Amino acid sequence: MSSRLARRTGIAGGIRYLLLALFAVPWVLVPLWLLVVNSFKTERAAADLTLGLPEEWRLLENYAAVFADGNYLTGLRNSLLVAIPTIAAVLILGAMAAWAYARSRSMTLQSLYYLSALSILLPPAVIPTIFVLTTLGIDGSLAGYALMMIGTKMGLFVFLATGFVKGIPMEIEESAAIDGASRVRTFFQILLPLLRPVMFVGAVLLIIAVWNDLFFAQLLLRGPDNATLPVALFSFASASMNIIRWNEVFAHVVLSSLPLVIVYIIAQRQVLAGLTEGGVKG
Amino acid sequence: MVTQLQAPPVSSPAGSASALPAGPRPRRRVTRRTWPFIIPSIVLICVFFTVPFLLNLPFAFSSWTGYSSDIAFVGLSNFELLASRGILWTSTAVTVVYAVICMLVQNVVSLSLAFALRDTTWGNTFFRSLFFLPVLISPLAGGYIWRAILDPEGPLNAAIGVVVPGFSFAWLGDPVWALFSVAFVDAWKWCGIATLVYIAGINSVPRELLEAAEIDGAPPWTRFWKVTFPLLAPAFTFNVVTTLIGALTAYDVVASMTQGGPGDSTSTLNFAVVQQFGYSFFGVASSLNLFVTLLVVVVAIPLVSWLRRREISA
Repeated sequence: MSSRLARRTGIAGGIRYLLLALFAVPWVLVPLWLLVVNSFKTERAAADLTLGLPEEWRLLENYAAVFADGNYLTGLRNSLLVAIPTIAAVLILGAMAAWAYARSRSMTLQSLYYLSALSILLPPAVIPTIFVLTTLGIDGSLAGYALMMIGTKMGLFVFLATGFVKGIPMEIEESAAIDGASRVRTFFQILLPLLRPVMFVGAVLLIIAVWNDLFFAQLLLRGPDNATLPVALFSFASASMNIIRWNEVFAHVVLSSLPLVIVYIIAQRQVLAGLTEGGVKG
Repeated sequence: MVTQLQAPPVSSPAGSASALPAGPRPRRRVTRRTWPFIIPSIVLICVFFTVPFLLNLPFAFSSWTGYSSDIAFVGLSNFELLASRGILWTSTAVTVVYAVICMLVQNVVSLSLAFALRDTTWGNTFFRSLFFLPVLISPLAGGYIWRAILDPEGPLNAAIGVVVPGFSFAWLGDPVWALFSVAFVDAWKWCGIATLVYIAGINSVPRELLEAAEIDGAPPWTRFWKVTFPLLAPAFTFNVVTTLIGALTAYDVVASMTQGGPGDSTSTLNFAVVQQFGYSFFGVASSLNLFVTLLVVVVAIPLVSWLRRREISA
């Protein structure tokens, strides 16, 4: 029985891998190859958009142009300035709220929980956000953009984390309380370490959303000095109205995507395991 | 006296509220008063999400522009303007078609991939990482890559040209194909995440149920429709809803691939929002934003509740 099963899956597995490989070629490999190989070409060669290797390599020139004209370093700095505080704030403040929501039976808190969860479904209203940020005196700035990101992404993490906290036995916190730990200490020393899996999943989902956002960044940030990487890439590509300089645009795409890809390569196993092992449960 | 902390039995922490002890009400809890912990998050959500959300209604009926600081109530004139220029209905129709295509493509592809990659083997882990790569690049970047692939001189036409000599088609120059292409790229970009969610769903189906069905002589296709698929409902709900809401608010891929063209054939509502914002017509942009919200409320929220009611648990 088991040997028959093994033989069956062996042959089927071979065919399956073959089909997957055939599908991966147009789905992932050709797009990525096109991107990378054309970022090494001259402008005229890249305009043909072929998959062949460059006859004339322009690697250094193209990538230098991204640094010189593509606002790359400013964009990278701004993206980091937005992403790091946003993710830290959502994870810590969201986990705090999730703990309170999961442990409370108060009607008021339940309504506030549903208010938070509503922000997952409803799209943010971006124009009035500008009004609010103007009133607070931070419109057009990275701080205003980051705060808006925190406020709109918080709900999803609160939702994920509340479900997670409900699965943690309450006795652990009770023992800590009996031992005289304050609530703040209980949260930071007992709860936060237990929440690590859901915080990891939250961080992955957040960084993908925040790092790549163009819509809100374009509306809420003003001036090249406040541009994040997607805004910098978009203005770089739109600079020549009719003809895209594919070699330089692709070099910009490579450099803009590189930070996330590097982080992914390092943490790949945890990312995939975290997302598949039930972290994302609607 | 030393109170020993028990080792936390958190083997399946993603469980539900029913994991809490049922029966008699829990004894007086020692960990009271956790409510202050919600204050920072609820303040941030209210100030930067809820208040703007509520303010959008008055703004949609206002004459707010970048040229004057007066914000006057102008009734329906923003909507009349948008309707008379044909922007309102075109963008709404484009957005709905876009979202449906995107949702279908993404869920068919990622469900198939999830079935192919459900077991955690060495090879499957490799393919999972490979198919996850598009998730990491920005939709904007994905848009530029596919714009190049779909270019009349690009690799797609070249590949078809091998089979059909002299084949040339401007994929993004044709109104119907442009909309389909842009929605396809949006789906392509997010497939990796949906696949992982489906894999999680498939692997949460108890093996005993599938084995029981196999012993009862159910062929694979029946096992899929009668056992796996119904139990996949939560993952299905999650993916359909996130794709749909994501696609109803699509902007980046449109901006990088077609700029709304040819004509208005790919001008989604959010693309129109950015356009009107660019002209400094903030009131008009708010009106369009209100339409995005209405679409989500009308389309996505009934769908969520319907899908959730169909869910059963193992």
